[in-house]
Amino acid sequence: MTTTEGRRELTVGMGAGGLATADMVLNIGPQHPATHGVLRLRIVVDGERIVSAEPIVGYMHRGAEKLFEVRDYRQIIVLANRHDWLSAFSSELGVVLGVERMLGMEVPERAVWARTLLAELNRVLNHLMFLGSYPLELGAITPIFYAFREREELQAVMEEASGGRMHYMFNRVGGLKEDLPAGWLDRVAYAVQAVRGRLPDLEALIVGNEILEARTRGVGIVTPETIAAYGVSGPIARAAGVDMDLRRDEPYLAYGELFADSGPGRVVTRTAGDCLARLEVLLEQVHVSLDLAEACLDRLRTLPQGPVNVKLPKVLKVPEGDLYTATENPLGFNGYYLVSRGEKTPWRLKLRSASFNNVAVLAEVLPGNLIADMVAILGSMFFVVGDVDK
Amino acid sequence: MTEEAKKPGAIGIPGILKGLATTARTMAKPTHTAEYPHAQPHLPPRSRGVIALLEENCTSCMLCARECPDWCIYIDSHKETIPATTPGGRERQRNVLDRFAIDFSLCMYCGICIEVCPFDALHWSPEFEYSELDIRDLLHEKDRLGQWMPTVPPPSALDEHSAEAAEIGATTRPGRLVRTTPARPAPTRATPSGQEPPPASGQEPPPPTASEPAPEPGE
Repeated sequence: MTTTEGRRELTVGMGAGGLATADMVLNIGPQHPATHGVLRLRIVVDGERIVSAEPIVGYMHRGAEKLFEVRDYRQIIVLANRHDWLSAFSSELGVVLGVERMLGMEVPERAVWARTLLAELNRVLNHLMFLGSYPLELGAITPIFYAFREREELQAVMEEASGGRMHYMFNRVGGLKEDLPAGWLDRVAYAVQAVRGRLPDLEALIVGNEILEARTRGVGIVTPETIAAYGVSGPIARAAGVDMDLRRDEPYLAYGELFADSGPGRVVTRTAGDCLARLEVLLEQVHVSLDLAEACLDRLRTLPQGPVNVKLPKVLKVPEGDLYTATENPLGFNGYYLVSRGEKTPWRLKLRSASFNNVAVLAEVLPGNLIADMVAILGSMFFVVGDVDK
Repeated sequence: MTEEAKKPGAIGIPGILKGLATTARTMAKPTHTAEYPHAQPHLPPRSRGVIALLEENCTSCMLCARECPDWCIYIDSHKETIPATTPGGRERQRNVLDRFAIDFSLCMYCGICIEVCPFDALHWSPEFEYSELDIRDLLHEKDRLGQWMPTVPPPSALDEHSAEAAEIGATTRPGRLVRTTPARPAPTRATPSGQEPPPASGQEPPPPTASEPAPEPGE
């Protein structure tokens, strides 16, 4: 339950002593303009106030984990970049990192830095999407046009390298599918510069906007205890002061160097834990990710000539054993628990996706709030329904 | 909310005015959107639009159909016997492709078929305007897949730091054993990385360059 002092009193013209109200069950979704995707919320309301809320998931369940078991490690990437379609690159990364670790495979340095660069660009793309769509849910139509202009800039370079705009399919076990195109680094640098230069436009629409602040400040406060209880991660956890980022805490790829003391990486945190803090974390993470992308670009320019992948056997088998690989996806922890029995397909590949936990916490956060705030809270949980339902 | 509410009315909305100023500034600038059907998008060569088939290169080896994650490639073929060209020569058998179809209503555009094709019969083309009113028309048969071939762009040049192409490495490497059949590439290459033997599909092993990370035509 949220703290009662966070409740704002609702004064509706009512007769003396008020009306005798009966609790009403209200279904939000599975088809609802305020939810992106088919998330269903069954909320019990007393008047305008939410008494209890229950997210009902599974409308988009595609059985990804079961499908993993009958696909080899290249085919798994096809599925792995689809559960969270806004963090496709980071999700494919988890699969290949796990396989590489189990094989004890050394990935060429250029591939490591290129992957880091692409993962950070993917993070910016993801965050820009939510920076556009969240105000949209609150009734501000304009920011999404600005967010999508920047997204287009970055998507163009992502498409040039990988061939895909959403489902990149650019990771392979041992590196990347193919080398970067000539002159691509310059175009990425230009795109990053352009996005950084125009980001103040988007910020002008969001930061300090009185209407947006009125809708979000102090609304939907998540406490660090709730975050620990529900396994919430990513920007939502950091907005509540939970200083936790796998890029710094359990470095993978080149993050160990980037998040070192003198590196450009830093973990963005807020303490308020409300909707506004979550949005602010997202906005600042865009800046950090652009910094990281530029650091990766500088490094890629200076690295000696070399391959971006290693030669794989025709049939790739992972030795027997199990391993949990977690990555810091744009929306939070994304983990793959890979159990192999030495076959060319995993025996089991458990997927821990960020959005599932981030949505589960709604049952704690929503009660006590007004229906009008429900949309603000729901949108600020920054989830992808495909990532919830897998 | 409370702090903001304390500010005086119309003058106390600088945040909204700031946003409006941005909108006004953007309004004065030229638009960054393009009107699609009139202005065609510029797509990079790697763009995954549609899969083109170069039928002559296909040996109906079925690798693409087997590797496809959702089995949307249909291949029918039969064997034909070619009579001996010289008296006393041997008859030869070859696969003849009867049907090659990709169901684009199922295709996930992952590109694995193109990656595994040992003979470069499949290529990506950035063309994307092939939507249909009937989902069944998204099943492209081999003649339709072949029509995409002229739209396949040459592959983009690689980054200056990329590893040198396998062909260049092969020419600069010290000489190997004498080749017995100079017209064809040797069946297996003595690569230091320990390449596994070719798949036991009764097919000719791939030419050495096909599985390299080097520039592949049409990729």
